[in-house]
Amino acid sequence: MIAKSGEPSSAPVGAVLVLGGGVAGIQAALDLAEAGQKVYLLESRASIGGTMASLDKTFPTNDCAMCILSPKLVQAGRHLNIELITYADLEKVEGEAGRFRVRIKRKPRYVDPAKCTGCGDCATVDVPDPAELVEHRGELWIRRLDIDEVKCTQCGDCVRACRKENPEAPAMGSVHHRQSEEAQPGRRTAGADLRDLRNMDGAGRLAYWRRHMSRCIKCYGCRDVCPVFVESECRMEEWARPGRLPPDAPLYHLARAYYIAARCTHCGYCEDVCPGDLPLRTLVDLVRHADPGDLFEFVPGLPAAAGRRMRRAFPLPKKAEGTA
Amino acid sequence: MSPAFILTTCPFCGCGCGFYLVVVNGRAVSVAPCFSDRVSRGGLCIKGRRAHEFIHSKDRLRVPLIRRNGGFAEATWDEALDFVAGKLSAIRSVSPDAVGLLSSAKCTNEENYLMMKLARAVIGTNNVDHCARLCHASTVAGLAAAFGSGAMTNSIPEVAEADCILVTGSNTIEQHPLIGTRVLEAKERGATLIVVDPRETMLSDHADIFLRQRPGTDVAWLNAFMNVIIAEDLHDKTFIAERTEGFEEMAALAGRYPPGRAAEITGIPAGDLAAAARAYARAGSAMILYSMGITQHTSGTDNVKSVANLAMLTGNVGKACSGVNPLRGQNNVQGACDMGALPNVYSGYQRVADPAARAKFGRAWNAELPERPGLTLCEMMEAAAAGALRAMYIMGENPMVSDPDSNHVRRALGSLDLLVVQDIFMSETAALAHVVLPGVCYAEKDGTFTNTDRSVLPVRKALDAPGEARADWEIIRDLARRLGSGAFSYASPAAVMDEIAATTPSYGGISHARLEAGETPAWPCPDARSAGTQFLHKDRFARGRGLFHAVEYRPPAEETDAEYPLIMTTGRTMFHYHTGTMTRRIGLLNHEVPAGYVEIHPLDAGRLKIADGDTVDVASRRGEIAIAAQVTERVPEGTVFIPFHFAEAAANVLTNRALDPEAKIPGLKVCAVRVTGRNGR
Ligand code: SF4
Ligand code: SF4
Ligand code: SF4
Ligand code: SF4
Repeated sequence: MIAKSGEPSSAPVGAVLVLGGGVAGIQAALDLAEAGQKVYLLESRASIGGTMASLDKTFPTNDCAMCILSPKLVQAGRHLNIELITYADLEKVEGEAGRFRVRIKRKPRYVDPAKCTGCGDCATVDVPDPAELVEHRGELWIRRLDIDEVKCTQCGDCVRACRKENPEAPAMGSVHHRQSEEAQPGRRTAGADLRDLRNMDGAGRLAYWRRHMSRCIKCYGCRDVCPVFVESECRMEEWARPGRLPPDAPLYHLARAYYIAARCTHCGYCEDVCPGDLPLRTLVDLVRHADPGDLFEFVPGLPAAAGRRMRRAFPLPKKAEGTA
Repeated sequence: MSPAFILTTCPFCGCGCGFYLVVVNGRAVSVAPCFSDRVSRGGLCIKGRRAHEFIHSKDRLRVPLIRRNGGFAEATWDEALDFVAGKLSAIRSVSPDAVGLLSSAKCTNEENYLMMKLARAVIGTNNVDHCARLCHASTVAGLAAAFGSGAMTNSIPEVAEADCILVTGSNTIEQHPLIGTRVLEAKERGATLIVVDPRETMLSDHADIFLRQRPGTDVAWLNAFMNVIIAEDLHDKTFIAERTEGFEEMAALAGRYPPGRAAEITGIPAGDLAAAARAYARAGSAMILYSMGITQHTSGTDNVKSVANLAMLTGNVGKACSGVNPLRGQNNVQGACDMGALPNVYSGYQRVADPAARAKFGRAWNAELPERPGLTLCEMMEAAAAGALRAMYIMGENPMVSDPDSNHVRRALGSLDLLVVQDIFMSETAALAHVVLPGVCYAEKDGTFTNTDRSVLPVRKALDAPGEARADWEIIRDLARRLGSGAFSYASPAAVMDEIAATTPSYGGISHARLEAGETPAWPCPDARSAGTQFLHKDRFARGRGLFHAVEYRPPAEETDAEYPLIMTTGRTMFHYHTGTMTRRIGLLNHEVPAGYVEIHPLDAGRLKIADGDTVDVASRRGEIAIAAQVTERVPEGTVFIPFHFAEAAANVLTNRALDPEAKIPGLKVCAVRVTGRNGR
């Protein structure tokens, strides 16, 4: 559970990484911090507290669980020697005892924790079909981090609520600015597109994507501006024949969408910068929860059949007609 | 080390997209979108997205070079400028007209203005021109005759709202990507899209009506359009009566071009022609977009006049979402023309031959100005080859790759006494120079560009110049001072713009302060209170009444024969810009299109036993190049297409120098060639 880094173990002060922010991790962190160590408390979920926070009584004394836990939560949150790293996972540990180097991957969030004042207004807005409602102060709340991205229609109401409460430094800027600013009359929201797409049959979906992808001018903007894109990893240029316009659909777009789907923060930047106005976020949303077979009648592992199907769906440029 | 975001304007095409250049520690590291930009709205094409990559190329020119003993030797600025000034003043004292200057559509308005001032006020010649000669000289001549002003009549955002868009001779999505996407946006909104082009393009795949004419037969189909419109009584009689003249002659001529006859000339089926003409005429607002496919012909001016006829016939001029819209290629080709880097006009198209204009500029510059219009770019090359022109000063152009008949250009430049090239890279032209002066790119200087819809856009200095390179306006200013001029005491480009505003009525209200405040006014903008002009010719044409021209079809200068049986046309691709000096230094663009190629139809390829990817020889009456073949149905049978970006397989070795009689534009789009495979032999 405990890893040390920095000075050799004989030195009185060092840094400790505590993995897991349940009650055991919290207690360990507090003890180490009191002993003069700098503690990084890493928690995979959005907040520390773990399972104990959802228990009523503890065994065998029947004490109130929150009565034991809450002072520790506050202590851990305020302790000058403890740095909380929540909503993040440990990826790699290198080195030896006393000199560990760790690599931590933060999961994307919608809220800038440095700016968030904790007012909670974002969570009070009416979110259609929410994943889980929590009662709080007599109202039904939705935990922003638990929103099911596919169900989220990107209405932008939570962002507007945040801006209203906190106009100088809104903590949520991440929902599609076009919708949150209502700047684009006539444009459908990604949510509406997504709902319709789910109700379409295969042919309808293909027609939808073919229509939109034929407008791509291959600027690579969707990839280049994505905040989670890591250079050298997403090689969408290798999925389309060089020099061809529009790029080979849907491979070019799917390559990016599948690469990014698991980490997409839903910022909508890709769609904002797309000069061809492709519904790119809708695509990322879709691939996140559906495999290519459902989306494009594409059968992974069956190249020949897949190839035939893809060709039917996305024929090469039509034959020249009426030539001189 | 926090990044700085500098809002500037794309250095590639005439759309004029704005973006932020992101600078960290004195290096441009990326391009960030600007959502409030009027043209780009945050989107950019692949070139704009990579506009930071060539800036820090290792092979940027950093020090002045002087040719000594056959090679280049590094020199100080004083040495180089003294050398140039010495030679130029010697030649000037014999004959000022033995000097020719090429200005640049890549440089700012301020620099173009200084260049033409240098030519006229200091050297005393009107021999100043730039590459607009190769693209839209026929537009300037043709539209000036028809409307009185040779620029795009309407603005870019209007494209998305038109009811019908007729695109001809423009591969809009590849050449003007952010205008192309607006055409697609209009299509999504339900507009009718008509594309007339010999070559299949991405845009033609979206067209409702796609007509493929034989290259060089545009006047014929345009006349046939008008024939159908008049015959079916779809013309706008009120507009014609109130706003135009010359209708009767034009109508009589169009009467001789029924669709059947045009079909024979152009190869477009008569029924399709008539259907397209009806769709255009019936639309509430119909816009015409055209580009090199109309202008780069020996009949270029005629083509442009015919396009203007068509728009006036249906009343589609002087209102929103309509008009005649030549898409200007270079980022600042509109500005370079506006600034008078042309042999016959001062800034704002004030004619050199007009004594009042000459007197006005003479007073402003305190100089005696030459009255005879100067030589055009192609004429300068002829004069150089013939020995009449002794010195050339070329700023930011690469005629060795961009001009027709490269072998001839090489001979012409080789016979000069003095060739000065001011550029950012050692281009094919700079390699021939006696003196090479290192200029700077868009990111290293202040100034303005004027994009294709006449908006004046800011260019801001984000970086220091590499090595000892200097901003182009400083180089011209310092050279002018050395040549003894007292009228070049500018401290900054803003001061130059103030002079431009004072001497140029259409730029009268433009100043750097306004651009700093976030405005991008489109000319005409006569004074500081004017917000600029969204579309031209609103209640009255610039020349008073719009003039119809009766234009007969003339076959292209070069016809195919048994020896040269194929028609070659040239053009660009999405992935490179012009002669490639900048874009070929950008990794992703080279990944997309690394080398030149010739597109050839499968039937032609089959006959010549050429397979996709083979190296073939393409020969015209002027030269021969080896190039890879791309077998594709995007070109019609009998026609081949070569992009002209690539110096090692330069399309312009093959092209024809024959000129349009009025505008002196060469017929780059049509020349007869022979293609030979290497397998059959
Ligand atoms: S509305 Fe904004 S400031 Fe308030 S809790 Fe939500 S994110 Fe934080
Ligand atoms: S919405 Fe687009 S730009 Fe934003 S993280 Fe997801 S894929 Fe990247
Ligand atoms: S941003 Fe849009 S146009 Fe550019 S590559 Fe991506 S999908 Fe294509
Ligand atoms: S469309 Fe033209 S101006 Fe815009 S980014 Fe591309 S090259 Fe630059």
